Amino acid sequence: MTPFLQVMVCSGDGAHTGCTTLIIDLCGKQGIQIYPKSAKGCTDLLRWPQISTCRSPELETFSCYWTDGNFYNLTAPGTIQLLYMKRNDEDWKECPDYITAGENSCYFNTSYTSIWIPYCVKLANKDEVFDEKCFSVDEIVLPDPPVHLNWTLLNTSQTGIHGDIQVRWDPPPTADVQKGWITLEYELQYKEVNETKWKELEPRLSTMVPLYSLKMGRDYEIRVRSRQRTSEKFGEFSEVLYVSFSQTGIEFVHCAEEIEFPWFLVVIFGACGLAVTVIFILLSKQPRIKMLIFPPVPVPKIKGIDPDLLKKGKLDEVNSILASHDSYKSQLYNDDLWVEFIELDIEDPDEKNRVSDTDRLLSEGHLKSHSCLGAKDDDSGRASCCEPDIPETDFSASDTCDAISDIDQFKKGTEKEEDLLCLDRRDNDESLPTLANTDTQRPHTSTQSQNSQPWPPFADSIDLASPSVHTQLSNQNSLTNTDFYAQVSDITPAGSVVLSPGQKSKVGRAKCEGCTRQNFTMDSAYFCEADVKKCIAVTSHEEYEPHVQEQSCNEDAYFTAESLTTTGVNLGTSTAETPNSEMPVPDYTSIHIVHSPQGLVLNATAVPVPDKEFNVSCGYVSTDQLNKIMP
Amino acid sequence: MAPARAAGRAGAAAALALLWLLVCAPRNAGSRLLTVADLFDRVIRHSGRIHSLSTALYAELEKHFPPRDNELGKPARKCHTSGMLTPNGKEYAQKIPREELTHLILKLLQAWKEPLSHFNQHIEHHQELPDDSLSKAKQISNMVHELKTGVEKVTEKMQSMGIISNSLNGMASSEATGLSISNEANMMSDSDFIHCFRRDSNKVQSYLKILKCRIMPESSC
Repeated sequence: MTPFLQVMVCSGDGAHTGCTTLIIDLCGKQGIQIYPKSAKGCTDLLRWPQISTCRSPELETFSCYWTDGNFYNLTAPGTIQLLYMKRNDEDWKECPDYITAGENSCYFNTSYTSIWIPYCVKLANKDEVFDEKCFSVDEIVLPDPPVHLNWTLLNTSQTGIHGDIQVRWDPPPTADVQKGWITLEYELQYKEVNETKWKELEPRLSTMVPLYSLKMGRDYEIRVRSRQRTSEKFGEFSEVLYVSFSQTGIEFVHCAEEIEFPWFLVVIFGACGLAVTVIFILLSKQPRIKMLIFPPVPVPKIKGIDPDLLKKGKLDEVNSILASHDSYKSQLYNDDLWVEFIELDIEDPDEKNRVSDTDRLLSEGHLKSHSCLGAKDDDSGRASCCEPDIPETDFSASDTCDAISDIDQFKKGTEKEEDLLCLDRRDNDESLPTLANTDTQRPHTSTQSQNSQPWPPFADSIDLASPSVHTQLSNQNSLTNTDFYAQVSDITPAGSVVLSPGQKSKVGRAKCEGCTRQNFTMDSAYFCEADVKKCIAVTSHEEYEPHVQEQSCNEDAYFTAESLTTTGVNLGTSTAETPNSEMPVPDYTSIHIVHSPQGLVLNATAVPVPDKEFNVSCGYVSTDQLNKIMP
Repeated sequence: MAPARAAGRAGAAAALALLWLLVCAPRNAGSRLLTVADLFDRVIRHSGRIHSLSTALYAELEKHFPPRDNELGKPARKCHTSGMLTPNGKEYAQKIPREELTHLILKLLQAWKEPLSHFNQHIEHHQELPDDSLSKAKQISNMVHELKTGVEKVTEKMQSMGIISNSLNGMASSEATGLSISNEANMMSDSDFIHCFRRDSNKVQSYLKILKCRIMPESSC
């Protein structure tokens, strides 16, 4: 507590003297303050008269209000005056009207009010000044509350639970809004009857406001207040408007709780339904549905080849299947580019070596047409390749599946068919042109497709030749068994193994297409270098004279699919040799590398490398390089 | 006070639109009156924005330069436009002739043009003021210029339509008054200066409202 004096004040005449103790606070907030010392402590403050507020409701008049304080009771009561002075005046004038605005107030009417002029008012009695205040009338504008609040129903929701209302009111009557002398902003507040917190809307200039989505089962309270547009203080609130929907006679639903969307139930039932559906599908016996929803994961398998077959060692059957595969493929490769790779089962290399290729090949007398063998195997991924209703074991049925046309298969076929082809060509000159033409046409597509995919569907160029070849071959069945194919001379990139005849074929092959066949028009053909070498080697031993476009074929001419495709005319010209049937052919019987799915690379016992440019490692060379190799 | 700034820019656009309207107003007499009322609305809105901006700027300046301790004493503010005789109440504004009211408006605007530009240059050296305040001051200066142009155009239109007489050729006098006043303006402190301007912008807005009311034939102004 600040320094203070304690005095005792007694008043009255001798007989009746009353004394009180006062505490004089010399450093009070408003100067010297006197507190009556009482048992309660310093709670009874002696309040000075103060000007509490001066306000103008409409920018035309203003009033000032003050508080008395309890000073009166203790000292000689004097009269409190309010004096005012305008900026231009010389001295203070007294308040013109003490009555109109109520007690302890001073009202200045329009004649005494000047806007935009600084005023000063002070509260004083004769001797002392209690309070003083300076302001300008345009700064103390505090409008009256709006009047005549009412509401109308705009619309109700379909459920009848919520409704929109429009609240309207009039501006305070004192404010001259019509002439625009004063511009007012309004703020509306509303709440439910049993709530404690008011919801506010933003201040706006219009005198009507829609309230959306009020619950029709509840009652609301609304109140509005206003302020001058550029000031911050709001005036008093208007009277509270009660909104009760039952009074308007509107039927509304007594809802204890609001109906909310049962998200929880939806989720639960949805999950259950989904689980039931999945279980049903899994347990369903219908393979179609099951296949549709849970498609079988493709297992790499060769169409038509039953792994059991290979395991059991029935290579004859396998070979026959493959051969028939090729021949039948010839009919279809025009339409279809999808090829299947034949991956030789290398788990039994002994088996391969055991049975000579020749025997295997010779066992097949003619080409068989076959159907899509893949249908036999349900687990094979290629099952999707075939139409589901392909008979499973009918290999001789027409193949509705995409033809398997790769170099390998054609090669395999052509191994036996080499003679046939040659024979055919010899016999049927017309077939060869077609062969040539188709060959030249096809390489692009085949090789390109080869390169693009790891499991590339490609139509070998040779496949093009197949149709003609097929017909030729079928006609020349009798000539098939003249050659002895004992050595694998080539492995095509596609993976088919081309066997070379161990002996010179007796049948003349005037028009065999060997490595001379193809010029390297295939842009992106990639061939195994070893294959290329083999082809080169092969062609070096070719017994025919390859021509650019002649279909001359040496007697010993055997052509691998590769030779047909890779060895072009270039090759042929350089390696023109007299048919040399006595020259030993490299014996490709040991598997060197398996380029799955490209095929096997068989090691040659003695393979002359015509071109030292290539590495021995079996990389892949492009056709252009191949062209370079083969002069 | 981004909305105020945006409002200022919108006000500039409104002033331009106002000028366009003045130029391209239709010749129909009936619609001419409406057009004048429309123009007045735009000008009044523009002045309202100026007033809002100046109020905000004054609040910011008060925050940065605390007011003097002597609050109870007389306000030391003496605006340079205090010497101008302007109606200080609604009744007076309604009583004086329209031409005089228009003239007063223009005079007020002219009186503040130069001091505002001086003020702008002056407060740019104040490092402690935020950029917001500086931009407001600049905006106010521009808007006052636009408002003056707008009011001049409205005046010309009213004169051409015969609403007010052509006795308002005292533009030169207002210019002279403005020049003499501006010297006093340099003496004031920044917040006092803005306080004065705020009051005068309120004056201008109120006068424009009354003037518009008086021009409308059916009103009771």
